[in-house]
Amino acid sequence: MIELNGVSKTVVSGPEQLTILHTLDLHVPPGQFLSVVGPSGSGKSTLLGLMAGLDSPSAGNVVIDGDDITVLDEDRLARLRGDKIGFVFQFFHLIPSLTAYENVLVPMELAEASSPADKANRLLEEMGLSDRGHHYPAQLSGGEQQRVAIARALANDPSILLADEPTGNLDSSNGRHIIDLLVGVHRTRKTTIVLATHDAELAEQGDVSLTLRGGRVENCRELSKSVTTSGSS
Amino acid sequence: MKFVLRMAAREMRAFWRRLLFFFICVAIGVAAIVALRSVIQNIRTTLVKEAKTLTAADVIVQSSQPWSDDTRALIDERLSTTSILARTESIETATMARPADDEKAVATMIELRALQSEFPLYGELLLESGRHYSHELLRERGAVVRPKLLTRLGIEVGDEITIGGQAYTVRDVITKEPGQRLDIFRFGPRVLVDYDDFTNSELFGVGGRVRYQILLRTYEASIEPLIKTLEQTLSSEYAWVRSYRETGDRIGRRLERAENYLSLVGFVIVILGGIGIWSVVGVFMRRKLRSIAILKCVGASTKQIFGIYLLQVSFLGLVGSVLGLGLAHFAVEAVPPGVVAGLKIEDYGLTWSAMLQGIGIGILVSVLFSLIPLMESRHIKPLLLLRQEVDRSAIQGRRRWEVVDRWEVLAAATVLVALLALASWQAGSLRVGILVTIGFAAVALVLHLTSTLLVRFVKPFGRKGWFPLRHAVLSLSRPGNQTRMVLLAVGLGTFFVLGTRGTETNLLEQFTLELRDDAPDMFLIDVQPDQAEPAEKLLMSLGAREVRMVPVLRARVTAVQGAELNLEGYQEVREHRWLGREFTVTYRDHLDPNEHVVEGRFWDASPSTEAEVSVEPGLQEDFGIQVGDTMRFDILGRVVSARVTSIREVDWHDARNGGFMFVFRPGALANAPHTFLAFVKAPFDPMARARMQRDVISEYHNVSIVDLRDILLTLHGVVEKLVLAITLVGAIALISGAMILVGSVAMTKFQRQYESSILRTLGASGKTIRTIVLLEYGTLGALAGAVGGLGAPLLTWVLCRHLFEIPWQPNFWLSLAGIPITALGVSIVCMVTTMDILRKKPLAVLRAE
Repeated sequence: MIELNGVSKTVVSGPEQLTILHTLDLHVPPGQFLSVVGPSGSGKSTLLGLMAGLDSPSAGNVVIDGDDITVLDEDRLARLRGDKIGFVFQFFHLIPSLTAYENVLVPMELAEASSPADKANRLLEEMGLSDRGHHYPAQLSGGEQQRVAIARALANDPSILLADEPTGNLDSSNGRHIIDLLVGVHRTRKTTIVLATHDAELAEQGDVSLTLRGGRVENCRELSKSVTTSGSS
Repeated sequence: MKFVLRMAAREMRAFWRRLLFFFICVAIGVAAIVALRSVIQNIRTTLVKEAKTLTAADVIVQSSQPWSDDTRALIDERLSTTSILARTESIETATMARPADDEKAVATMIELRALQSEFPLYGELLLESGRHYSHELLRERGAVVRPKLLTRLGIEVGDEITIGGQAYTVRDVITKEPGQRLDIFRFGPRVLVDYDDFTNSELFGVGGRVRYQILLRTYEASIEPLIKTLEQTLSSEYAWVRSYRETGDRIGRRLERAENYLSLVGFVIVILGGIGIWSVVGVFMRRKLRSIAILKCVGASTKQIFGIYLLQVSFLGLVGSVLGLGLAHFAVEAVPPGVVAGLKIEDYGLTWSAMLQGIGIGILVSVLFSLIPLMESRHIKPLLLLRQEVDRSAIQGRRRWEVVDRWEVLAAATVLVALLALASWQAGSLRVGILVTIGFAAVALVLHLTSTLLVRFVKPFGRKGWFPLRHAVLSLSRPGNQTRMVLLAVGLGTFFVLGTRGTETNLLEQFTLELRDDAPDMFLIDVQPDQAEPAEKLLMSLGAREVRMVPVLRARVTAVQGAELNLEGYQEVREHRWLGREFTVTYRDHLDPNEHVVEGRFWDASPSTEAEVSVEPGLQEDFGIQVGDTMRFDILGRVVSARVTSIREVDWHDARNGGFMFVFRPGALANAPHTFLAFVKAPFDPMARARMQRDVISEYHNVSIVDLRDILLTLHGVVEKLVLAITLVGAIALISGAMILVGSVAMTKFQRQYESSILRTLGASGKTIRTIVLLEYGTLGALAGAVGGLGAPLLTWVLCRHLFEIPWQPNFWLSLAGIPITALGVSIVCMVTTMDILRKKPLAVLRAE
């Protein structure tokens, strides 16, 4: 499903080169719930960004469903994300000029899905937001915004859901609610989920926990199913 | 496409208030173009519609000499082969009239027309008495006259007037007449008399300014073949054939320049609007970075995103243009009815063509000026959602010049080509279009370089020193700064506003020069050689301050043997545009004060039998006539060959002296038929002037007097209206330009408010923030003012020399004043918007971000 082969990421920071993710091989089979844990700056978001094709690796390649996405241009990557990958951000990133309902509608319209309106309403209902569809993001609480973001991420029934610190900006009760929703999604839809978090307790919800520190794999713990990883320093 | 449409609609629903300024920019520009062009088109349509009655015939054959029997036979022969529905002849001349009653010390110049009984072939002559016009009114020395003649001479219907020593009884007053010209192009009031009465008078055959006309009416389809046949027949004669259509064209052309000037000013306003649009879209795109990244994250392609914003921009352009039409409508309606009536406009209002043009230009300019800021959307990466600042070159690990986007280059080239096409179209000249576009591009380039240099230059000041200075410098040079945007918008705006203002002062200067008080104010035309000396004495005895008699001859070029141009015979000469026309020439042994030789040598005072001629540079420029060439002239039947010995520049705008295209060396023309033109500085007292005119024409019936003071008075009125119009148009350009610039600068507040709020949170006082803003924007304003202000004289030069063909006076004071004014203006606008920011609670701003 998701394969990272010899992937690393280096960025230019002033006169220096900074490696934010050291060479990594990773295979995530279909239907797995992978938790990526580590403190801030450990490379979690970078890893998720590379998986989603939001960023390109400095070395190595990323394969999604057998396709090497590192050779795709921006438009093909956008189409791939629209079809196969849902992304949930720490800062929600809803389009402020659209209502909650319209935010959910956008990916389906882009994919020219049939009866997107019904589905958008259904997803909002699933997220407990059926009465908030006509509100703009600025009129919603953080927890509500994140639920809209999850509904949006699920709009095209993606086989992969990537969640980057989805609870990082929420209080514990709202955070709990979001994790429950993600676990529910994984259970009912058999969606492959990669969850980045710095909260060890949340990470326990996954099948496998991968710990990053300073851009390197520190630990990889199988919680219930198998996952193969190898990190080199 | 559906998605693009839906998204565009949703975005506009949320952001239309922020883009309000966008369509205000479009609306002002479009309103200016539509209103200015409509008014002038109204005038043109009215005049061209009347062309047929202005000519009073389908075809006119005209000559400045009486028809010889041979010519007449030739014309008759040709006409016998065409279906001519009607034919009549007339003679037109400008001459003098005075009351037959010697007690009345007054005389005036008139436009005399002698008619046969078939006149008019088209249109109707309306009389004040209400009776039907019939030629019988003119028989037995009758005359019908324009009302102005009665008031000028203090006479009534039934009184007698003397024209060319012959008395005519005024039988009626004309209220409307076919074949009339606009009053401002007239020498004096129209007087109609009988053809035979005129040919039997002393005036017939004397003097040069007479037009002998044969008017023809025929079928529409026969007009073109008839003109061709007559032109072939008369190719060796000095006669011109033209149709009513050409008259319409000529009048149309006369107004074309005015239309093009007004359109160009309108266009400049549109460009300023465009700069405003560019600034708004630039700010808008920065605000939209995250939304675009989100759309890309959820699967939108670059093309779809570009489509969403292009569609918004086009729609706003359309709405702005329609709003502009509304503004134009109000502007046109606001013109006082008296002015409209004065211009004799029948269908007054916005014209369809101007409205369509306005909408087209509005949308085009909206799209063009948005294109480059919109291209930014292509570079926005969804990674932005994970990492805040993404530098294009850093990510790709390449140098900046290597990441130059060819689509952006293509877009910039498209914008320039489209601007060139628009400017050329609006100014009615490709040359002016090219020069204006080059100026625009050059100023933009200089501003771009200035911004780069400024950022480099100020960077060291950002490290230490006074807090506000440090932060002002950091603002100028931080990533995503406003430096380039403000410099370009304000600099280009200043360039166009000051350039138009400079052109306006040059145009106005032109009018004042033409109305100088030390110029001769009365002219005597057709003074015969034997009358010259006694007439001069008479004028002096009647109180003239100065009299100068200049010999004049009517000449045509009939051949040129030269280094570059060889023309044999008049037929070849007349194919060279204006070279074939009749020229008034003179001879003298000195240069006038408004002349100087640019090539060759001017002769000395001694007369010579070998003919030498000095020519005006236009002949060299247009036809390649050079010093050393030989030209053959036909001077009322006498052939003179003369060698070109000098090229002589004439300042045509200095009205104190006449101007001649050809000046001959004295001697060779002594025996040629010539008359004298008297330049008179007449007494200031109106009574003395009137007496002078009456006494001169009582003595010399053939002489015509043009009293420039009368014409000057009329002209003063016209000029005053023109000055008002130019000042008004200039003021519109200035105000709308300033408004757009204010808006562009004010828009940058959205960029500033976030940082100001953070500084406020950290404890910066309002004064500190205001000082930072003042330093940052004061510098930008001063630099933009300097580049725009110094570039403005170039724009003025292009418009003066190439569009209006008037001398150019650089106005460096205007440019210098532009620098502090721009700096101050930009600072004030920023201060006002900063106060608005400071009034808001920092948390509200931070939360919104």
